[in-house]
Amino acid sequence: MTLYDDLEAILLDEEAIQAEVRRLGEQISKDYADRQPHLIGVLKGSIIFLSDLIRTLTVPVTLDFISISPYGTTTPSGVVRIRKDLDDPIEGRDVIVVEGIIDTGLTLSYLIRNFKTRNPASLKVCAFVNKRAQRIIDLTVDYVGREIPDQFVVGYGLDYRQRYRNLPVLGVLKPSALD
Amino acid sequence: MPKKAPRLPDVDAIPFAHSSESEFARLLTFYGVRWHYEPTTFPLEWDDQGRVTEAFTPDFYLPDHDLYIELTTKEQRLMTAKHRKIRKAQALHPDLKIRLLSRKDCLALARRFGWRKSTTDNPRT
Repeated sequence: MTLYDDLEAILLDEEAIQAEVRRLGEQISKDYADRQPHLIGVLKGSIIFLSDLIRTLTVPVTLDFISISPYGTTTPSGVVRIRKDLDDPIEGRDVIVVEGIIDTGLTLSYLIRNFKTRNPASLKVCAFVNKRAQRIIDLTVDYVGREIPDQFVVGYGLDYRQRYRNLPVLGVLKPSALD
Repeated sequence: MPKKAPRLPDVDAIPFAHSSESEFARLLTFYGVRWHYEPTTFPLEWDDQGRVTEAFTPDFYLPDHDLYIELTTKEQRLMTAKHRKIRKAQALHPDLKIRLLSRKDCLALARRFGWRKSTTDNPRT
C-alpha cells in the first residue's frame, strides 16, 4: 500500500511539475531583473514548491515564512491567528507571496490585507496551483503554475489532513480516500 | 503597526435560515472578511398596481468586494428557480455581482473546513 494507491489520477508528473516551475522562475527572474524579490512562503503547502522555485531564479532573493491558524482551530476570538509571523519587516520591499494552492481565496485575501498594512514597495502573488472553481474572494494571482478543475488534489506539498505532502506528483485523490 | 481588524457582526446573534449560512458567516468572520446577512432585497416582478410580486434576497453581501453570495444546499435539479432569479436580478442590475455557491460548493467547503455534516443537509423547505 503506497500513497499512490489513494490517487484517482495524476494531474502533473515530476517532469511536468519541474517544467512549470522553470517557466515561473524564468518569468519572475525577468520581471525582477533589477530588483531583489522577497519571497514569503505560506506554510505548509508552499514549502516544496518554494524550495524548487528559488533554485530556478537567477536574481538574488530573500526568504521568509508565515503560518496562520487554519479554520476550525479554536482561537479565543474566533478569528484567524498568526502562528508564525514574518521574521523581518517588509516595508519598502518587493514582496512575492508564494502559495501551494489558491482555492477559496480566503487565506490569501487575509494575508494580502495584512501585508499591505506593512507597506511593501510591491506585492505580488505566485501559486503553483490555482483552483478558480472554488473561489469566493476574487483576487489577482500574478504567477500561476497550473489552473486546475474542481478536483481535490494532493502532493507536491499539498495535503489532505496533513498527508500526501511528500508525493512528488500532483494527483487527484480518490473519493474513497476522502472521509 | 497593522490596522485594527474591522468589527464584524456577531454570528450567534443572527437568526440564519440554515446552518450552512451560519457556518459560512463564521468562515468569513474567521478570515476577517466583512459581511452583511441578507441586507438587500431586489424586486424582480411587479403587478399592475406596482406591488412587488417576486423578489430575490441574496444571503450575504461582502462590502469590500461589492459581492453578493447566495448559498444553497438544494440538489442541482432544484436549482433552476434560483438560477432564474439570479439571471433576472442581473438583467435588472447589470453591475450586480452574485456568486452562487451550489450544494457541491458547500460540500467542498464542508470538507475543506470541517463543517458538521448537518450543515450541508438539504433544507426542509
